[in-house]
Amino acid sequence: MSRERVIDEVLSAVMAFFSFRSFRTRLLVFLLALLLPVLLGIYIFVNRENNQYTTDTIDSYLELGADVFDFTREEHKNTLLTITSTMTRDWGFRNAFGTGDPYTIIDAADNILLRSLGAADMMLISSMDGEVIIDTKTQGFEHLEGEWMALLEQAASSDSGIGDAIINVLGVPYQITVIPLFLPTPVAWIFGGFPLDNTFTDTVKQSIVSDVSIVEYRNGTPDSADINGSEVEVIASTLRPADQVRLTQQLQRTGMTYTDTQRIILEDGEYGTLMRSLYGEPGAPLQIVAVIQKSYNENIENLEAFQRVLLQFYLAVLALSLIAVVFLARSVTRPILDLAIRVKHIEEGDYGQSVKVRGKDEISQLAGSVNNMALGLAEKEKVRDLLGKVVSHEIAEELLSKKIELGGEEKVVTVLFADIKGFTTLCETSAPEAVLTVLNRYLSEITKVIEDNHGVVDKYTGDSVMALFGAPLTRPNDAENAVRAALAIQECMVKLNSINRAEGMALMEAGIGIHTGLVVAGNLGSQNRLNYTVIGDSVNLSARLEGLTRKYNTPNIVSETCLHHAPGFVYQELDVVQVAGKSEPVRIYQVIGAQEEVTSEQYEKIDVFAEALATYRAQKWAQATQMFENLQLTLPATERAESLYSVYLERMNYLYKRNLPEDWDGVFVFDRK
Amino acid sequence: MTLATLLPKTNSLARSIACGAALCAFIASPAYAAELRIALQDAETGQPLENAVVEVSLPIGLQPQFSAAADYSVDQVEKEFVANVTVISVGSRVNFPNSDDILHHVYSFSPAKVFELPLYGNGQSVNFSEVFEQAGVVEIGCNIHDWMLGYIYVAQTSLAVKTDANGQAVINGVPAGEFKVKIWHPRAPADSAELEQTVAFDDAQASNLRMALTLERDNRLRRAPNVSRTRYR
Repeated sequence: MSRERVIDEVLSAVMAFFSFRSFRTRLLVFLLALLLPVLLGIYIFVNRENNQYTTDTIDSYLELGADVFDFTREEHKNTLLTITSTMTRDWGFRNAFGTGDPYTIIDAADNILLRSLGAADMMLISSMDGEVIIDTKTQGFEHLEGEWMALLEQAASSDSGIGDAIINVLGVPYQITVIPLFLPTPVAWIFGGFPLDNTFTDTVKQSIVSDVSIVEYRNGTPDSADINGSEVEVIASTLRPADQVRLTQQLQRTGMTYTDTQRIILEDGEYGTLMRSLYGEPGAPLQIVAVIQKSYNENIENLEAFQRVLLQFYLAVLALSLIAVVFLARSVTRPILDLAIRVKHIEEGDYGQSVKVRGKDEISQLAGSVNNMALGLAEKEKVRDLLGKVVSHEIAEELLSKKIELGGEEKVVTVLFADIKGFTTLCETSAPEAVLTVLNRYLSEITKVIEDNHGVVDKYTGDSVMALFGAPLTRPNDAENAVRAALAIQECMVKLNSINRAEGMALMEAGIGIHTGLVVAGNLGSQNRLNYTVIGDSVNLSARLEGLTRKYNTPNIVSETCLHHAPGFVYQELDVVQVAGKSEPVRIYQVIGAQEEVTSEQYEKIDVFAEALATYRAQKWAQATQMFENLQLTLPATERAESLYSVYLERMNYLYKRNLPEDWDGVFVFDRK
Repeated sequence: MTLATLLPKTNSLARSIACGAALCAFIASPAYAAELRIALQDAETGQPLENAVVEVSLPIGLQPQFSAAADYSVDQVEKEFVANVTVISVGSRVNFPNSDDILHHVYSFSPAKVFELPLYGNGQSVNFSEVFEQAGVVEIGCNIHDWMLGYIYVAQTSLAVKTDANGQAVINGVPAGEFKVKIWHPRAPADSAELEQTVAFDDAQASNLRMALTLERDNRLRRAPNVSRTRYR
């Protein structure tokens, strides 16, 4: 797998991880992503500082303990010096020393030791040059040696004549002091000492509240038991025996640095451990160290208590933050959801129920805008609806979709005029309300039929309807649609008449004129008020053709142009006419029906009529009259008086009396509208 | 006094004057005319060395002729022994009066004379004198005031003297001959060979002892600071 692909996959995984379903989850995750590192950082920092503080505290405890240890030793030493110094001023002791009798002197020394209440434990008196006069510990040397001699020289070379050291007395480290005996010149050295034993460590522990041990190292001695070649022994300690063993096992003596705190695990936990050298330089065969120890337990307990409090605080902070986030998210998502529902309603056409606008934030602004938009949309919809009622749906769309401006375009349109024959009679015989009801019913039905056939109602003028096929939208079969609409209107009239008959109203017939021709389609009127309509000769001709239906007693008249545009129907030629205001004669037809619907009887009738018409045009009046009369007999008796045939019979009755010109073309002229 | 021996020998005039002076001295002393002129100084500082004792050691046979037992007094003033160094000869009696208004307890554990005079005060009618029968240095102290330290140099004969503030002293009436001369100072190391010199004495000419002594550190106790205290409480 290539590197880029891996990166892409990782990125998409990350993106997938961060694409949450809800705003609340996202807010939560971001809050946690921000809060948790901060809290964690604080926790780590505080923990580190606390640990450092604990370490420092224990270190300072130990430093203090070591200082107090030294101080206690110093005090003890001073007590010792006071005792021995006072002894040298004691007249009885001076006298005893003056005798030069060792037994007397040692008795006097023992007496002093007894009276010191344990502050002094041993005494050694030597001459000025180090001859041992008495030694209460009977160590067995006659002349001072080793540390003893070093101490003597230390005292002799000091201004005060006083010296002190830690000296190993029969395996026990002793704090030893020395002062000279003046009689009245210095004649002897008085050494006094006390052991650094359990009594001493107990005393120190009472002061420093830390454990004190005195540990001896014998390094490189032949009888070493320790693997390092040094034998470790606890000489005195406030620790329990088991802990003393742990101490000797863990105490590091590498480099013998006395400034670093060691951590040693005893039975009840970890102890800070600090060493002080008492005897012997680092590397010397015998070294004695003081070990001060302080448990971390108390501080660790405090630390743990603090950590608990901190964690509880964190939980509280997190809980509060979560609650706050939930509320915050809700305050954001609730209005957004409301808005979403609102917009959904608007999408579905429900413009009511405006969203409540709270506050002035962005969402509220959005809500306000949505409300305004809904109002705007509702207004527009209202206008559209109204427009759809006032003008036809297509025209409304045309008007709404384009910039409305005066002017138009030339196009070929089929114009249909439909009129109610017998409307005047209806008006005379019925109440106005009933007339309006009938008229509306009629117009509604006709409009529906026209629109069903993709026609557009241009206007209503009283009881007549003007419809356009091919404007504003041009379709390839506009003329056919118009012819089909005309047939449908005729069918519709049958249905409407049955309703009228049931209601006792007058019956009505439709007169329909159809013509296809060039018109100007567009917005007509003034700048402030205009109409989408078509104008032109073709419109006038359609209206004339509609008017001619009353003359020819036919339900419809279709111009020859229209016939050419709408094949597929069966037409019957009616005449060639010259209408008012038109110079060109127009051949007019009546559409009988769709080819598949026309019966053979009708075909026969059409043929007979065409024959009669040809006879008429040939001016064979008698023959033509006979043919029309025969045709008229095919009609019911009630219709014979006002029929197409009667129109020709009357016309011929008039024509045969006239002297027609040689070039009579058979065009019938209507000089009135 | 003549400084002839101290002058450069090339100066003949000065030398003759010095010889004349010596002659005059010889005439004044009937039996023994030899004289020891002493000038001591501190080798370290070069300062004159006071309170050093110089004794001419005579053979036992000659000693009786120079016996000079007498009465001396070592006073205690302001918690110090006055004088600090007292030169006496064997058999002398030393009186230890107390001029202070407090009691003193004089003692010595020196082998030459071990004694004590338990607490006594000024004007008390007690016998506070001691006879020193044995030659040697007796270090005297006070049991109450540790810093009080005095020396009684018990010489065998009368031929012993201590140096003055100039580090100088003169011993007169020394018989002619060659004798050991011992020098002592509280801070001079006792086993030093230079502290015993052999000097030739003759009646015609004074002998000279000029030395710079190497001293040890002063081991005496410092005086307690509350010396001016006049009341017990």
